[in-house]
Amino acid sequence: MRKYLARGVAAGAIALLALTACSERSGSSGGDSADSGKGFPADALIGVALPAKTSENWVLAGDLFVNGLKEAGFQSDVQYAGASSTVSDQQNQIQAMVTKGAKVIVIGATDASQLSTQVKAAKDAGAYVIAYDRLIKNTPDVDYYVAYDNFKVGQLQGQALLDGMKAKKPNGPYTIELFSGSPDDNNSAVFFDGAMSVLKPEIDKGTVVVGSGQTDIKQTAIEGWKAENAQRRMDSLLTSTYSTGKTLDGVLSPNDTLARAIITSVKGAGKPLPVVTGQDSEVESVKSIMAGEQYSTINKDTRNLVKQTIQMIKDLQQGKEPEVNDTTSYNNGVKVVPAYLLPPQIVTKANAAEAYANDPILAPLTK
Amino acid sequence: MSRVKELQKSLFAGTTSNARQFGMIFTLVAIVLLFQILTDGLTLNSSNLISLVSQYSYILILAIGMLMVIVAGHIDLSVGSVAAVVGIIVAKVMQEYDLAWPLAIVLGLLVGAVIGAWQGFWVAYVGVPAFIVTLAGMLLFRGMNQYIGSANTIPVPEGFREIGAGFLPEVGPDTGYNNPTLLLGLLVCVAVVIREWRARRTRREMAAEVWPMWISVIRVVVPLIVIVFATLRFAGGRVGTSFPISGIILGVLVVIYSFITRNTAGGRHIYAVGGNARAAELSGVKLKRVNFLVMLNMSVLAALAGMIFVARSAASGPQDGLNWELDAIAAVFIGGAAVSGGLGTISGSIVGGLVMAVLNNGLQLMGVGIDRVQMIKGLVLLLAVALDVYNKNRGHFSIIGSLMRPFRRAAPAATTTPIESGQEPAKTPVAG
Repeated sequence: MRKYLARGVAAGAIALLALTACSERSGSSGGDSADSGKGFPADALIGVALPAKTSENWVLAGDLFVNGLKEAGFQSDVQYAGASSTVSDQQNQIQAMVTKGAKVIVIGATDASQLSTQVKAAKDAGAYVIAYDRLIKNTPDVDYYVAYDNFKVGQLQGQALLDGMKAKKPNGPYTIELFSGSPDDNNSAVFFDGAMSVLKPEIDKGTVVVGSGQTDIKQTAIEGWKAENAQRRMDSLLTSTYSTGKTLDGVLSPNDTLARAIITSVKGAGKPLPVVTGQDSEVESVKSIMAGEQYSTINKDTRNLVKQTIQMIKDLQQGKEPEVNDTTSYNNGVKVVPAYLLPPQIVTKANAAEAYANDPILAPLTK
Repeated sequence: MSRVKELQKSLFAGTTSNARQFGMIFTLVAIVLLFQILTDGLTLNSSNLISLVSQYSYILILAIGMLMVIVAGHIDLSVGSVAAVVGIIVAKVMQEYDLAWPLAIVLGLLVGAVIGAWQGFWVAYVGVPAFIVTLAGMLLFRGMNQYIGSANTIPVPEGFREIGAGFLPEVGPDTGYNNPTLLLGLLVCVAVVIREWRARRTRREMAAEVWPMWISVIRVVVPLIVIVFATLRFAGGRVGTSFPISGIILGVLVVIYSFITRNTAGGRHIYAVGGNARAAELSGVKLKRVNFLVMLNMSVLAALAGMIFVARSAASGPQDGLNWELDAIAAVFIGGAAVSGGLGTISGSIVGGLVMAVLNNGLQLMGVGIDRVQMIKGLVLLLAVALDVYNKNRGHFSIIGSLMRPFRRAAPAATTTPIESGQEPAKTPVAG
């Protein structure tokens, strides 16, 4: 019993000691540092919150952030959301970064609409918030957006699909299927709209036919960008629409993970491979393109995107206004977020060697 | 009974069963202090405590309901999906039909009750095991969430967000602290003192031996120090923040449900059913009704938790509630409930949930990746329950054993005696 008592007293003493610490209200966290033009210490903490490690790109981005921020002299805290409870993990991680006093928080959102409370907390604590790759919606508290031009990505995908099908079979009509990304990702609709801006005129003319008739983004969406979901949808499409001898000429796929799942599904059904688009330049997909299976991907070099983000952080640190090149297109529902958009590049077997010449991992694959 | 036991008894509220609470609380304090050191004081920092409460209040609310489900000898795997479907319904009616948010909350609770009645019906009146019923519910309601919301994320209005992200208003004179939080802390302090005073009076009235005054003083002063400390921390955060509203909702629920499970016949019936269903039924406990109500109650609490999460996230999304059931179940078992049912306490589950929460938060503050956090949490859950089992089988005294003892069950071998019997806790209960 004496042991318990001793412990109790010790705990009480520690609590009392801690009591003497003063209230945070008198502290510096009055949100004053949120005014631009003041900058912050060169070795400040930078938080980076990324989604779950479901695509190679996010893993690469995380590594690049760790190294890039270190080189630039910042301290970094790079976190991924868990694979199973992504949204609440990310909320808690951002909150922890705020508590640790991060000056800039870079967020690749898991669910672009469910972060406004955390983003507000960051803003109130005087941190800048940069939305990385995915725009954070319904909040006035996001400062900048940095991404590849996603509408352009969609347009390139749509064009590549048409080109690829023409190369295989000079005359239409072509039968295609449409896939789009996760409905909770703001980009999914942008990719899809971009692609449809190219495909819609052809569909209206009748030169391109959507075999299953599923053209609504609600029908084409793949929950969570998950390969298994894409494969499942493709399996059912093949059974419902293409089991009676109709040929599938092309599939619009928003990214590489889904493209490979679609190809797996078609192979499994023993059908001839259609032209399949992609995006992200994932290793497996580049291999697949070189092997003549997947038709195209998009090169959005993650290095450049991370480099641009770190450049923004450096500007903010020095109290400068970071460079942006689009101040009109990205309305998040509350405000138009100033954005810096990088141009994407379409890659097929023809130009792969040239496109990946500077990439240490992908370049050897294209030889 | 040894002198140590006697003293322990009187110091921690009069029965050995209450004394068991101490070990859990000790574990929690140890973890908090450990992280306080490892994170250079960030763990007990005002803004971190505030976010800790708002991040985990909905999981702890689930743990309350889950404790009762597990005590009754069942399990509920559907809570995350129920939370998600209620979240999307509430978000949708507010968006499309402009329903006022207080009414939307009522509607959400009603939907929860309907879902709970559905599951309770299958469990209690048809006799399908709860594991199966709620596994079905998990799929059914997850699908319903996506069907209703078309897998979209739907924002909710400002007023509604208060229950998840809201704080008490800044009113009264400028004290350098949030005044309503100070009042709240004072209220809790008064409650602690009154409780102790009433406990002494009861014992005197019942002509039982009253413990010496100094013990009462310790029993009041130690909690008071903690409460005052916590109050100042919660009240001393950034201007505009205070003890979170979701935390207040949680606190009220803990008080109400602790009373129900400890002091009412209905509450004790849950323990009786979980301890030995047949014996309970023969003694006049309405088995079916107890099972039905326990499942119903769980879904209502899941509905509330779902709404709080949606409010905190400012939107209802297709991934809401994923894996919540696992967090809630882990909290209950770490908090000392028995897998076979019949044993466990609300406060134990809350402390169990807090252990997980502080662990999660502390590791995040240290910048440990979520992959390793999950591995650590998994091991903690396994070790906590394993130590419990090991300790029980050996029956030896060990320090770990004495610390873990509280993790074991409340009221042993429940039958028809609803009063806590103050027996030694080492007896194995009859599995229900």
